[in-house]
Amino acid sequence: MTRPTSVADLTERLRQERYLADRGLATAAYVALSLDRPLLLEGEVGVGKTEIAKVLATMLGRRLIRLQCYEGIDPAQALYEWDYARQLLQVRALSQHDLTDDGTVDRLYGPEFLVERPLLAAVRAGAGAVLLIDEVDRADDEFEAFLLEVLSDFQISIPEIGTVVAPSPPLVVLTSNRTRELHDALKRRCLYHWVGYPTPEREAEIILARAPEAADGLVAQVVASVTRRRDMELSKPPGVAESIDWVRTLQVLDEPELTADALRDSLGAVVKERDDLDLVLSRIDGVLDGG
Amino acid sequence: MSSTVAEPGPAAGADEVPAPVRLLVDFAQALREEGLPVGSGDVLTYTRAMAVLRLSDVEDLYWGGRTTLVTRRDQIPVYDAVFRRFFLHEADRRPEPERTVLRAAARVVAELTVPQNDPGDEEQEGEQTPMGHVAANAEILRRKAFALCTPDELLAVRRMISAIRLAPPRRRSRRTASDRSGRRPDVRRTVREALRRQGEVGELRRLRHRRRTRRLVLVLDVSGSMSDYSRNLLHFAYSTRRATTRVEVFCFGTRLTRITRSLDRRRPDDALARAADAVFDWEGGTRIGDSLRAFVRDHARRGVCRGGVVVICSDGLDRGDPAVLADSMERLSRLCRTVVWLNPHKGDTVDFVPSTMGMMVAAPYVDLLLSGHDLRSLEDFAGILPTL
Repeated sequence: MTRPTSVADLTERLRQERYLADRGLATAAYVALSLDRPLLLEGEVGVGKTEIAKVLATMLGRRLIRLQCYEGIDPAQALYEWDYARQLLQVRALSQHDLTDDGTVDRLYGPEFLVERPLLAAVRAGAGAVLLIDEVDRADDEFEAFLLEVLSDFQISIPEIGTVVAPSPPLVVLTSNRTRELHDALKRRCLYHWVGYPTPEREAEIILARAPEAADGLVAQVVASVTRRRDMELSKPPGVAESIDWVRTLQVLDEPELTADALRDSLGAVVKERDDLDLVLSRIDGVLDGG
Repeated sequence: MSSTVAEPGPAAGADEVPAPVRLLVDFAQALREEGLPVGSGDVLTYTRAMAVLRLSDVEDLYWGGRTTLVTRRDQIPVYDAVFRRFFLHEADRRPEPERTVLRAAARVVAELTVPQNDPGDEEQEGEQTPMGHVAANAEILRRKAFALCTPDELLAVRRMISAIRLAPPRRRSRRTASDRSGRRPDVRRTVREALRRQGEVGELRRLRHRRRTRRLVLVLDVSGSMSDYSRNLLHFAYSTRRATTRVEVFCFGTRLTRITRSLDRRRPDDALARAADAVFDWEGGTRIGDSLRAFVRDHARRGVCRGGVVVICSDGLDRGDPAVLADSMERLSRLCRTVVWLNPHKGDTVDFVPSTMGMMVAAPYVDLLLSGHDLRSLEDFAGILPTL
């Protein structure tokens, strides 16, 4: 697949994949692709940060490689690891003659014993891949520093094999939920974009793109309700993903419109915390008719 | 495929800087003047980005800069204002926010006044110390309530506070380290050694989980009734932040401010001045409930204090709705491991009964109530912390 030729072209091609990107996000992604720079997306939960990486991969016909970060993740889980058990079996199976052969040890550290992890896979795949580094804020500082090194020159040195260099860098998308501030050095390497909640009109479009068979009226009701909910100071405000889930839930329940009963039955799709549920249910009438 | 990227402007090697590049560089300069940390590398990225976008399109101009020159969400309003002024020639719409500027917290001692009806009065013996006389005896200073210290004594106390090192409690990490008495086998090392011995497996190597310090979150009340006290705690926060990076510091009066980053300065005076500047409502009223609710909503639920220790320093004089405070405390207690409340009113009394409404409402959710009204009690706190 060819690279997009302009921001408008990228927006249109994303739209064909049913992802509606606003101008800011599309520009950021376009510049990231053009300059081969990693793209750092921050924003509320459920606004499509992870999704755009997936959609970009499909759109560009590239392979999506995902590295999910978590506390305590270490380089061995991100780069590569030797398949120790296989190596050991191999050695035990060697004959006396093999053991004196100089090439034996080299073969033990051959590619077939190397277990590839996401970062190595991405460097090897180069421009054939979209590397998604998800929730990078959950990993610890040391890992961030290590990541910075890899993202700077897209090369990984494996002592036994040599240095693996990306022929051309993959498109890298990092996402963060801002549980902590990322290091400035890492941010400097990246293009930065804050993904906010879409406007109600836009959100309705997004839902319709994802759930095309939904009725316009229902979508409008859901969007209005979700928008109000975001102002309600819930501890977990619903994202766009929740809106989409909600519409789908209502469809499954065969509810043509959002009545008080329908809301009560389907609330679990949007509000996922006990305190929030209580709050919403206590104001259920206001939630429905605009109060 | 970096070859597809056009160089900014024609023949960039020439002495003459092309006009568009000049414009972009000037814009970056304008951002710098407003305090955005824009490096030359960022400007280069910006110009390269604009080379693939349309310079004549105002939206491209806006987003091209925002995606390359802005690195944090809170910089966006500044960027917007400068962009409007620079490219759209609009005057700044927002007037400078009214703020109470606190002169560098570290040097403010000269205007420190002792509150008339200080809570710790009765049991303090140092009341009669003549003003200006520096009690060099550290032992006396240790037991003297901050509120009763003379300016010079306070300076000495602050120096001593800076020497206290906090060691937050630790927990098991997911990372591992080699350890003879560990429980998990270390396959990697065992096999590596076996390969060296031609496949002969020798001693089984073992791993154990490493230990990590838990997060520590300080939430300081800087409202009128607490401001003197909080200035001392700011020193405490600074030295703590220097000692371990897993510390977050927030201040509140009527609203909550995160000052962690302001404390990351090398020189304590700079750091404290910055932190003090960042706090808008120094010496304003107190809305503990609302501030804690903001803390839970914007920080705690994102995981700032998950598995960590939250230390709230306040006298519990809340002007807001007690229900809000109770609700916030309940949520907070579910989002962190331990809640410690430092209340200077507690003083040295052992069976302290909270008398303020706020304190009574919050008490059920507080795991440990300490005083921290003098140096010795802060040292006590530092001593208890690793065991929490």
